Amino acid sequence: MSDFSKPDTSMIASVFTGKGLVRDSLVFWAVIAGLAMLGAVLGDSYVRHIFILVFIWCIVIASWDLILGYAGIFNYAQLVFFTFGAYGSAMLSIYAGFTPLLSILSAAAIGAVIGVVIAIPSLRLKGEYVALFTFAVHLALPPLIQQGKAIGMGGNTGLLGIPWLNLFGFQVSSIDKLTWYWVSLFLGALCVWLIYFIVLRGRMGLAFVAMRDADTFAQAIGVNEYKYKLLAFVVSAVFTAVAGGIYAHYTSVVTPKILGTEFFLMAMVMLAIGGMGRFPGAILGVFLVVIGNELLRSFDDYRLLLLGVVVVVTVICLPRGIAGLFERQSKQP
Amino acid sequence: MTQIFEILLSGITQGAVYCLVAVGLSLVYGASRILNFAHGSLYSLGGFLAWYLVAGGFDLPLWMAVLIILPVLALTGIGIERVIIRPLRGSDNWKINTIMVTLGLAFIIENGLQLVFGPGTRTIAPFVEGTLELGGITLSWYKVWIFAISLMLVGALEYFLGHTRYGQAVRAVSQDMQGANQVGINVNQVFSFTFALSVVLTGIAGILLAPVFLVSPLGGWAPFLKAFVIVVLGGLGSTKGAFVAAFILAVLEAFVIFYIGPSWAMPAWLVMLIVVLMVRPKGLFGVWEN
Repeated sequence: MSDFSKPDTSMIASVFTGKGLVRDSLVFWAVIAGLAMLGAVLGDSYVRHIFILVFIWCIVIASWDLILGYAGIFNYAQLVFFTFGAYGSAMLSIYAGFTPLLSILSAAAIGAVIGVVIAIPSLRLKGEYVALFTFAVHLALPPLIQQGKAIGMGGNTGLLGIPWLNLFGFQVSSIDKLTWYWVSLFLGALCVWLIYFIVLRGRMGLAFVAMRDADTFAQAIGVNEYKYKLLAFVVSAVFTAVAGGIYAHYTSVVTPKILGTEFFLMAMVMLAIGGMGRFPGAILGVFLVVIGNELLRSFDDYRLLLLGVVVVVTVICLPRGIAGLFERQSKQP
Repeated sequence: MTQIFEILLSGITQGAVYCLVAVGLSLVYGASRILNFAHGSLYSLGGFLAWYLVAGGFDLPLWMAVLIILPVLALTGIGIERVIIRPLRGSDNWKINTIMVTLGLAFIIENGLQLVFGPGTRTIAPFVEGTLELGGITLSWYKVWIFAISLMLVGALEYFLGHTRYGQAVRAVSQDMQGANQVGINVNQVFSFTFALSVVLTGIAGILLAPVFLVSPLGGWAPFLKAFVIVVLGGLGSTKGAFVAAFILAVLEAFVIFYIGPSWAMPAWLVMLIVVLMVRPKGLFGVWEN
């Protein structure tokens, strides 16, 4: 409340008008270019595979950060969007003969629809009721997918034989890790850039933060709560569904396992470690967790246990994640 | 007609156990606004401890095992509250952080159980055998006993909350944490106490259901999810709501399983949940927290 007595208008205006946007974007794309070159240097296809997964995860986590960290909506149905994107894209390209790029784009449309469908009941709810409801949707989806066997969703064994990505007539097989590395890096970077630099630095992001930090006050100054919360769901779902589509065409298999507890925990750990609502936090979290998880492969029996311990310890010791750590340091001159 | 009665009865007996799991979840939320995602894994913990004492390592009779397990579960609950939840209380986004920390705990417990006991399912022999015939309806005695024990425990809890001094303190904390603190109620103690109680209740449910549903390290998610839907439907933090919702959903489940098939039970629950939340966004008996 004390913030109102000394409004930091320059700060808000700078974000709103995009001051520093060009400079920050240049830094961002420079890092991406660096990663692209790194991909060419890294010879090992296993390492590339891990990085491809990292880039796909980055989209999911950035979208989750948008709705959970910035808009402050306790949405736990993020992997539902991912699943719909993956299955939608896979089924369109298998049964309807869409080219993979078109089916990934269609997955975005499917994501938007699912986002609205989940948002409408959620917006009638408050606070943790949203968490409960969305998590219930997440948990109720696997049996539905099994029932979906009748319409060609493959049931428990999943959907197999999803066509390879077709880039301007050039077939990119799953084995061609280097091309996939660049494709997923580019698509991932584009989505992350759109989320953090365009959406969240614009009017929408400002409305999200206002609603999260001062709900009533935001409404009083004319932020249309319903509209922006709906938008938060839709934008988040669209990007996540795109990630799902990319994932489906990369692995060429989708199974209900993507709704399993391991994936969900991984996503939670990434956000917890990275820190919510603080750009690059969540993205750094993705890199750390996916790579750390691979390093732990040799202790497979203990891996999930250790991940659990990491979540508990991180949340208790660093409630704002790694991003919070940087913030604390940068405040000390 | 007898068939419908049979389905109804099996739903009601099931409802009593769901109630036991859900009431604990609701109690903790009511008192401390913590949504315990590790509730299901604590259910498995109860089942595994009982299996270990009865059939695994020792050959104790079930009643003795339960007497040993109850304090262990209570101490586990107090320990969890002290070590991982209390440090978070009052930090700026404690709601998300407590959800994350309990989710992490769930993975620690279930993977810990898997490491110690192996991934297979376990069962405990039921303490009564035989079936009960009632006008053409058959019910196993064990289910009747589960029903009676669960109902008794929930009744005792309701009595405790409504008619004892400490129970009133718990209700006071759930209504207004700060006010309760100001009139001299030890709020932290109430938090620990409700957490311990909830762990004990879900652990008992795990023991009671071990002969029917078996216990496995990752098997806690199914009862947790059910408890979760029950609690949302009944209204967060309302033990009465959880009680009513448990029976509604269990009967619905029994009918859905009989007429459509077991895999449709969860989607049916979800449809029910959506319908109720659209009409009453705070659940059947919930109250918005200001």
